[in-house]
Amino acid sequence: MNRLKKINLLAKQAWVNTIHRRGTKGLILLVNLLLFFSLTVGYLNLSQHQNLVHGFGGEVRDKWENSPDKHPHRMAHYGYLVFREKFPLAFFDFGMDSYLGNVIFLEAHKQNTVNFSEANLSNGLLRFGEISAGMILQVLIPLLVFFWGFDLISRDREQGTLKILFAQGVQGPELIWGRALGLYLLNLSTVVLPFILGFILLFLHGEQDLLGQSVAHYLIMVLGYLVYFLVLCLVAVWVSGVSKSSKAALTTLIGCWLLFTLLIPKVSQVIGQTWYPTPSKIEFDSSVEQELILHGDSHNPNDPHYAALKDSLLRVHGVDSVQQLPFNYSGFVMREGERLSTETYLSHQRALVELFKQQQKIIRNAAWIDPFLAIKNLSMGMSGTDYDMYLHFQDQAEAYRYLLAQTMNELQIDLIGNRIKNSSDPSAQLSKEYWEKFPDFHQAFLPTAAVIKNQFYSILILALWLTLFSCLVWAFSNRIKAF
Amino acid sequence: MIEAKQLSKSYGGQIALQALDMNIKEGEIFALLGQNGAGKTTTINCFLGFVEPTSGEALIHGVSVSNNPLESKQYLAYIPETVMLYPNLSGIENLAFFSSLAGQNYSEEKLKGFLSKSGLQESAQKQRVGGYSKGMRQKVGIAIALAKKAKALFLDEPTSGLDPKASNEFSEILKELSGEGTAILMATHDIFRAKEVAHRIGIMKEGQLVSELNAVDISANELEMLYLKTI
Repeated sequence: MNRLKKINLLAKQAWVNTIHRRGTKGLILLVNLLLFFSLTVGYLNLSQHQNLVHGFGGEVRDKWENSPDKHPHRMAHYGYLVFREKFPLAFFDFGMDSYLGNVIFLEAHKQNTVNFSEANLSNGLLRFGEISAGMILQVLIPLLVFFWGFDLISRDREQGTLKILFAQGVQGPELIWGRALGLYLLNLSTVVLPFILGFILLFLHGEQDLLGQSVAHYLIMVLGYLVYFLVLCLVAVWVSGVSKSSKAALTTLIGCWLLFTLLIPKVSQVIGQTWYPTPSKIEFDSSVEQELILHGDSHNPNDPHYAALKDSLLRVHGVDSVQQLPFNYSGFVMREGERLSTETYLSHQRALVELFKQQQKIIRNAAWIDPFLAIKNLSMGMSGTDYDMYLHFQDQAEAYRYLLAQTMNELQIDLIGNRIKNSSDPSAQLSKEYWEKFPDFHQAFLPTAAVIKNQFYSILILALWLTLFSCLVWAFSNRIKAF
Repeated sequence: MIEAKQLSKSYGGQIALQALDMNIKEGEIFALLGQNGAGKTTTINCFLGFVEPTSGEALIHGVSVSNNPLESKQYLAYIPETVMLYPNLSGIENLAFFSSLAGQNYSEEKLKGFLSKSGLQESAQKQRVGGYSKGMRQKVGIAIALAKKAKALFLDEPTSGLDPKASNEFSEILKELSGEGTAILMATHDIFRAKEVAHRIGIMKEGQLVSELNAVDISANELEMLYLKTI
């Protein structure tokens, strides 16, 4: 008698027996509907978001290009609004998206925060958590798998069928794998159609330039989920096999669920925040400010801090006043000031991001003992709704802000006369053609290679859990007690 | 067919089975009597390979249970005290499942034939086992043994909880099986049923087979007296 055939029979029997149980079909239908619903709503939200971003982005660009002739530094203060786009897979797993800002105002001298997150704009209901397909798959499906799987061996023991099974020549590994695969089949019946729907939605997305990348991400993510589910099935059947009774198995599995989805994530988060405390927004701003004051005020050409700069410029050009310089001196000072203030800000920002990364590293390390955290990170990473993708946006926005400020400073240095007293002076105004020449903001997403690099550990952890449990099942299954 | 050689089992210092010798031939029905904890179930569990003997050997059709667990199981069938089966499957589905696990592949007609031969009425065969009585479930258990063409059949308290009619039917089926050459070992508390159906009767006490006799040599009343005296 072939081993695989026995496993097959046992899997089929677990499937048939559960599917005939009252309520099972309804439950499968319900989960399918729930996933369809959340995928569709997520997709509609994403489309709406992208339309808004493109609409407002176009408006901002129009206003910028159609700004009247004026002094370039006035344009630098007029600034630019940049809207955060979402990755085409963001509909699948909202990740941190709803808590991260969507709009940033870019202007000279000043790094503003990204504002207007969904959480910011909605009422308290969002605090209860949103239902995204990712959340259902990560949190709800395990509960369902445990609920279906807790008695898959213990019930046989209680009913005496386990003895008959063994008497019929079934062996431990066949029993565990057969039952785990039967459970996996039930599990798949709740997710396969939604996975297909998610795949189709990728092709319906309005912007097809990222199709290749999002399909690749999607496949990796789905594979991750499939591994995660198989691990869950093995855990459920294994616990059922080692427990004294079905009741004990159910209690253990619910305990595992609480531990995996609530306790470990929350504890690792608290540990992260305690070990690596981050400054509040006010603390951060004031420490940047304090350092900046040391560098002087670039807006004031007579600031003593810039005296040395002035002296050396006068010496090099052999003149005795800034008005005699062949370029606009206050533009030059501001370019220097922008460089210094940006450097200061970035060094603080980097330190802050380093702290965030340390906090996340704790959570990532916690994933070694919690496959839920691993799939959560992988899913978020692949959907482009994690902190890394957000940082990537923030970096681009800051780079664009710097480019904007310095381009305006360059225009001032090169084209504005040195004897101008007031920026409203008509001779200090540049034609709006210059505004049109300044390129629009184009957000890029992290490439697949970078995302995979970020998620390397999540993938490794899931693979290890699967290997570990396969071995554990193999080693343990010869010692399953028949009674 | 069913053979024990100096079969012993102890849990820590607790002796469950002590140097049991037993040989049940083809077509023979052996009834094991004894109080709870006397070692009846341990004996059966040793033959089924669920319990590893401390010393001695259990053989089925000449095959050692400890050395060739998988092969020894080819020849045996087992019906536990509470045959619950899978309540959401019908009698015929249960039989199909268990017999295909043992490697048999029967047509539906054949499976129905086994169930009918075991005494399960046609009308019940396609109903879910959840609604069966214990007697009906036991008949499915017998059908599993029939389908497997088992040479050795092990029964643990088969008639406990059966009404007299079902119990009687069950005895008839066992006799029929033994007539076809199956060796049967049953553990029971039912002295009268043991006397009626078995060829040989053994009484166990504290892990030992203390007396062994032919059923024809003794009346039910005498057997009861002997039982009470022995334990």
